Amino acid sequence: MQAASNCLSRAEVILNLRKPSLAIYDHAFHFIGGAQKYGLTLISTLQDQFDVTILANREVRYKDFQDWYNLDLSKCGIKVIKLPYYEKTGAAHLDPAFITRQVENPFHLISRESGEYDIFVNNSMNEMVYPLSNVSVLICHFPERRPKSYFYADRYTNVVYNSRYTAEWIEKKWKLTPHHHIYPPVDMESGEAEYPKKKQILSVARFEPEGTKRQMEMIEAFLRLFLEWPEIVRGWRFILAGGSNPNNRYLTRLEEMVIKNPAQNIELKINLPVSELKSLYRDSTLFWHLCGVKHEDPGEVEHFGMTTVEAMQNGLVPLVYDGGGLREIVDHGENGFRVRSSAELLEFTARLLGDPEIIRQMGRAARKKSQLFTRARFEARVKDLFEKILKSYTLVEQARPSSQK
Amino acid sequence: MEDLAREIQRLRAELEKKKEEIQDLRKLVNKEIDRDFPPDLDAFSEKELDTFIRELISSSKDFTETKPDLKPIKSHRKTIGKPVVLLKRILLETTFDNLELFLDKQMQFNRQSIDLGRALFLRLRVEKERMEKVEERIIACEENLVILKSKLEDLRAGLEEIKGRTGGHF
Repeated sequence: MQAASNCLSRAEVILNLRKPSLAIYDHAFHFIGGAQKYGLTLISTLQDQFDVTILANREVRYKDFQDWYNLDLSKCGIKVIKLPYYEKTGAAHLDPAFITRQVENPFHLISRESGEYDIFVNNSMNEMVYPLSNVSVLICHFPERRPKSYFYADRYTNVVYNSRYTAEWIEKKWKLTPHHHIYPPVDMESGEAEYPKKKQILSVARFEPEGTKRQMEMIEAFLRLFLEWPEIVRGWRFILAGGSNPNNRYLTRLEEMVIKNPAQNIELKINLPVSELKSLYRDSTLFWHLCGVKHEDPGEVEHFGMTTVEAMQNGLVPLVYDGGGLREIVDHGENGFRVRSSAELLEFTARLLGDPEIIRQMGRAARKKSQLFTRARFEARVKDLFEKILKSYTLVEQARPSSQK
Repeated sequence: MEDLAREIQRLRAELEKKKEEIQDLRKLVNKEIDRDFPPDLDAFSEKELDTFIRELISSSKDFTETKPDLKPIKSHRKTIGKPVVLLKRILLETTFDNLELFLDKQMQFNRQSIDLGRALFLRLRVEKERMEKVEERIIACEENLVILKSKLEDLRAGLEEIKGRTGGHF
């Protein structure tokens, strides 16, 4: 039945009776996030070529997309499909992790909807949606779950990944070879960096309640710097910016630590608007990011590292954890440093603070490297991929699903 | 072309109607879509193993009690129904005593196995906490070494400077 419907849909496009239709789904479009920015930037690139529909599970607005990501998606349609399973619980976050074979797959409503379009894009970090469309694209930001209960990642005709680290784990966890690599779009430049910048070390990362972004460890490292290298560190500030939900106990602990050490110039800045964040990037000199240190799971390491690229676009010298997607961004000793521990973070920071010329050189090198991850590059890759997909779609030969190893 | 377009639209509308009548996704695609995936424990990370063990212990509690649900003895036969019921009752009551002994032992084993699993998991947690404390001490030592190394280098640089100024004589 679906195959017959798909045949007719395809015939319509081949005969030029209508524009090809594309739907993009994400169960978290109502939250602000890097993965959501990726998916929405993708469709903003395609909204002239395709008849685009944004599929969401909660109400979303064009205005939010404009405010959060600077994207005008008014040419796209929006369709909200409420899932009864999650409506009953009233949960803000629709977590697929708790769905087992003991319950009916709540995402089958989305699966059915996917059959109404020529191309279905699943941006959702959720492999429980079975694609019924002729062409399907799974955007994998990281394979969080192993195949269990309802697993359909290998049913997609195209799997797109955001970093080689993610690709490596798709192979290990899902026994699947993904098809297309497109780095995320990063556009946080605030103008040409002017040296010398302020004596400011910056960290930008969500204040996750589990502490996986390691802000505590960074604060401890900064306090140690003050203790052991007072002459070099005098006048320097450490600013930690990031998003947080209310009632975050981890954030409370950080705040208590900052209060206990007032002389050490540490500040926390929560849920900043983009304009203020850009100012911080413009003024700061070094960027710290220790997410991945002491990790117990590959998912706790940065799958890519968008904030590191944002910092590099503004000429900050990054000192980041040596693992995950960050290895693809920072070249150790050339445009920053990659560290395995807080000890190495101290060592390289002390080295930098004592040599403003190296800071300047590395800052420029960092800015140059960051140009590989701009929005323009992302859009070019997306256009190229979807042109190939469309060309193949309008030929007679049917697209085949990706095969499992 | 217009006729073709109209015909395609008509067929699509028909198909949409038929699709709405089919609730089961498997019937829509005419194949089985779900599979079982045995856990690949060797490949699990520490966190995945923790979660797996916890979930297994939690769900195992449902299988502690294994006694069968004894339905009321009955027969559908009209004429010889009563003698059949009597025979069933005698047979069940003579064998069930032995079966009950066996099931009691099995249930005891089940409870002990689950308790053993929980105890091992708790012990694992204690060892993990101990290991985390050791790791923290190692991290602190590494930091101290870095600082010491840096101070030694400063000292060496200072000594070289003095040596340079005094021409090698202190």
